Amino acid sequence: MNKKKIVLAEDNTTLSLLLKFRLEKEGFDLFMAKDGKEALELIERNSPDLIITDIMMPFMSGLEVISHIRNKLNSETPIIVFSAAGQEEMVLKAFNLGANDFMGKPFSPNELMIRVKRLLKI
Amino acid sequence: MDTSSVKIILQILHVIFFGYAFAAILSYIILSVISGKETIEYSKRKSFINYKDILSSTISPSITIIAPAYNESLNVVENVRSLLSNHYVNYNVIIVNDGSEDDSLERLIEAYDLEKTEYIINDKIKTQPLRAGIFKSKNPAFEKLMVVDKKNGGKADALNMGLNLSKSKYVACIDVDCLLLEDALQKLIKPFLDETETKVIAAGGVIRIVNSCTIKGGKLMDINLPKSLLVKSQILEYLRAFLLGRMAWSRLNGLLVISGAFGVLDKEIAITVGGYDTNTVGEDMEIIVRMRRYMEEKNEKYRVSYIPDPLCWTEAPDSYKIFISQRNRWTRGTIETLKKHRKIGFNRKYGSFGLVSYPYWLIFERLAPIIELIGLIYFIILIILQEVKWEYAMSFLVLSYLFSVVFSLMAIYSEELTFHQYKKKGTGIKLILLSALEPFALHPFILYAAIQGNYDYYFNKKKKWGNMVRKGLSTT
Amino acid sequence: MIDYQYIYSTYNNLPFLIKLVWIVISLLALTIAFMSMYLKVIRHSLRKKREINIKFKTEYESLLVKYLYSGDDSEKTTKTQNSIIESLKESVKVDSKRKIILAVLYDLMNEVSGEMSDSIQTFYYKTGLIKYSYTKLKNKKWHVIAKGIGELRRFRIKKASHRVTKFINHPVREVQKETHLYMVNLFLFDGLSFLDHLKTPLSEWEQIQLLETLQKFENQEICNIRPWLKSTNNSVVLFALKLAKIYNQFEVKETLMELLSHTNKDIRLNTINVLTHLYGIEAKDVLKTNFNTLSIEEQISFFGLLEKLVMPDDEPFIEEHLFHKNFEIQLLALNILKEINIDKYMGLSKLSKKEKSTAMIKSENI
Repeated sequence: MNKKKIVLAEDNTTLSLLLKFRLEKEGFDLFMAKDGKEALELIERNSPDLIITDIMMPFMSGLEVISHIRNKLNSETPIIVFSAAGQEEMVLKAFNLGANDFMGKPFSPNELMIRVKRLLKI
Repeated sequence: MDTSSVKIILQILHVIFFGYAFAAILSYIILSVISGKETIEYSKRKSFINYKDILSSTISPSITIIAPAYNESLNVVENVRSLLSNHYVNYNVIIVNDGSEDDSLERLIEAYDLEKTEYIINDKIKTQPLRAGIFKSKNPAFEKLMVVDKKNGGKADALNMGLNLSKSKYVACIDVDCLLLEDALQKLIKPFLDETETKVIAAGGVIRIVNSCTIKGGKLMDINLPKSLLVKSQILEYLRAFLLGRMAWSRLNGLLVISGAFGVLDKEIAITVGGYDTNTVGEDMEIIVRMRRYMEEKNEKYRVSYIPDPLCWTEAPDSYKIFISQRNRWTRGTIETLKKHRKIGFNRKYGSFGLVSYPYWLIFERLAPIIELIGLIYFIILIILQEVKWEYAMSFLVLSYLFSVVFSLMAIYSEELTFHQYKKKGTGIKLILLSALEPFALHPFILYAAIQGNYDYYFNKKKKWGNMVRKGLSTT
Repeated sequence: MIDYQYIYSTYNNLPFLIKLVWIVISLLALTIAFMSMYLKVIRHSLRKKREINIKFKTEYESLLVKYLYSGDDSEKTTKTQNSIIESLKESVKVDSKRKIILAVLYDLMNEVSGEMSDSIQTFYYKTGLIKYSYTKLKNKKWHVIAKGIGELRRFRIKKASHRVTKFINHPVREVQKETHLYMVNLFLFDGLSFLDHLKTPLSEWEQIQLLETLQKFENQEICNIRPWLKSTNNSVVLFALKLAKIYNQFEVKETLMELLSHTNKDIRLNTINVLTHLYGIEAKDVLKTNFNTLSIEEQISFFGLLEKLVMPDDEPFIEEHLFHKNFEIQLLALNILKEINIDKYMGLSKLSKKEKSTAMIKSENI
């Protein structure tokens, strides 16, 4: 059975390492990006099964990434968004643009795992 | 006129020249020391500031970034994208397309899915009217963006339009091609929020020179020291001015200018004093002076703040022609501002603003080129008359040159020990050589431009902004 | 061959002033030479330090991740975890390395919660980092003390509260602020008790930080903010107003009404704002009656309140102010009229241009 592919866009190195470790242990193939533009390149190249992205990233914000995926790429790939700016406005915008799930920081990596599995229907 | 009175006149001239030079050097030493102290204190305070809190806060103050644009079609889309991805939450961006004759507007409409909207403008400041109108994006991801297309009126006029349209508490006026760092707004808004008894009316930071730096997708990837001597020298000059000069003036609350490339103002006060002056080429300096004057006259405690962090990177002129044109404009701006507000000078009613800042600018900035020119002419006359006392002349020339080199080195040290932006190997030696060469590469042209500026101001009123040819931010 | 004799005699023959100048020149030349050489030294050492730090950071990050994932469900640390702790204990003693370790932990505490943050806290204890934070508290320099308090806050060391509260009246504002933040972070609303006696003003920056801290922790009971609304310290009142808005404190409406006549304009303005948010109908009548005594900003604010709470019997009042001298109020009045009486609003377009207000003219062009 093929491994499920996940693109993770996060600019905090420790956190990405942490999540990568956990996700790979659970059996996923990880592709890491440090900003929105890199994330989109990885997505276009690898057609992942799930995308996890931070909102506040250099250059292209997570919101623009979501918009690009849903509108320009016309993709239905599930997207989980997380951000330190966990206010109502951000959450609403993310969902309006097409995100499937949202987690405010600080979050529990265990909870993230549960949501990942739920979205991938595992 | 007999010889003894001529001798007396000459003596007086000598005293004036050497006294001036001595005073200039002394003032620079004092400013450097104060700057040093302020920088150290700033680093201490900075080590535990957490900017992240303000990012997500619902009560963080609203900021409008106003960016006038004229014929910037080459990069306007990328620049706007960069402005939209700032890490502050409560802000919006107004791009004022000031009667551009190229396709800037069309490119923006296409890239950001813009559509024309109806808007009632409360024109508290009179500006040139709209042209194509006001545009907002259909895409919620670009909700922060507003593009205003209006008839040409100049940078000041475009900024005023932005002031009219902004609904925020603060406005950040920026050159559209300035590369703003992600945390620039958070850092620059902090001085406004820190003070309790005093009102901060404006704040500015350090402008860095972006020529030869690599920019990928609107983000600063690689910082390089340019090859061009002219540009390198400007970098050194900016370092001296920002790290050794402005830090000190900020501590003394004597800042007269926030860089026009990027600065944050209190919107209400900016509008109350009438917005930017469209009749001057030094509108960034003039509005700060006017805002300060307003607060002094109201007798309220206030300050103009400054933070030494690099906030924005912009292009510096890389040809002597454009450089001279820029410095010419700066000179005229200084003259216009000082003249317009001459009532402040040496006036006790305006406190240290009138007794220290204004005189300093008048004597050491505005009059410096004139005195230098007179000195030069005098020296040449002496040479012709073979009256030069070479031991005096040589020693003082060498002395001033060496002082200039020492100050440059101090600026370099200050930079290395604080922000250390030029990390590459071999840059150290280049910077040292630069300190030695910069007085020759830059100073004569600055002097020339300043004299030309003075001439243009008095005899050539028609001159205005001149041209800055954009190379674009995506160069290596 | 350098003729020292010649140079020496020439020098001696110079006037005194020039001699002085040449002495200064030599000093400057020496300084320049020294600074130039030393610059290379500095740059080299900075570069080396950076390389070492990056290398260490990468090694340390993977160790940390391994540590965080090799825990079991028990409260104790596992063998793997203990060995990692032992190996890092030495690094903790080195200043530069300790800084990196702390910084990475610091950042991580911001991003992850739950079991993981408890793990991090254990790590902080067992590696001995906590001792260094305590030492910082004993330092004389204010920025070191503040940093220490910040660390104790970030790693949620409740035990340290008696040590930290000592600094609540420290002369330097930054230290006071860190103490406040510590208390609120660890004791939430109970930690706000310092507001009862606060004499110094609270900066906006600090208020933002306090509010962000409180909002991070869900499901808590807000305490009674009424005493703070009555404080003599204006910044405390303003802070309490923010709390009233964010936590929808309908119960303090009466106190807010009193604040409408506070001496400080800022407070009055913010009160109108909060009352708007809390549907303070009672305020509407009070302000309407006193409208002409209000400052322009308060009047504008009041129309904002009116916009939200307008009732049909407000119509005459609104009509009265369609021609107010302030454009913003004209516009607000016009828009409210449109909401409550569309016919009258349409009727205005029949007026001649001279009779219309600026707001009416501008709205028509839309």
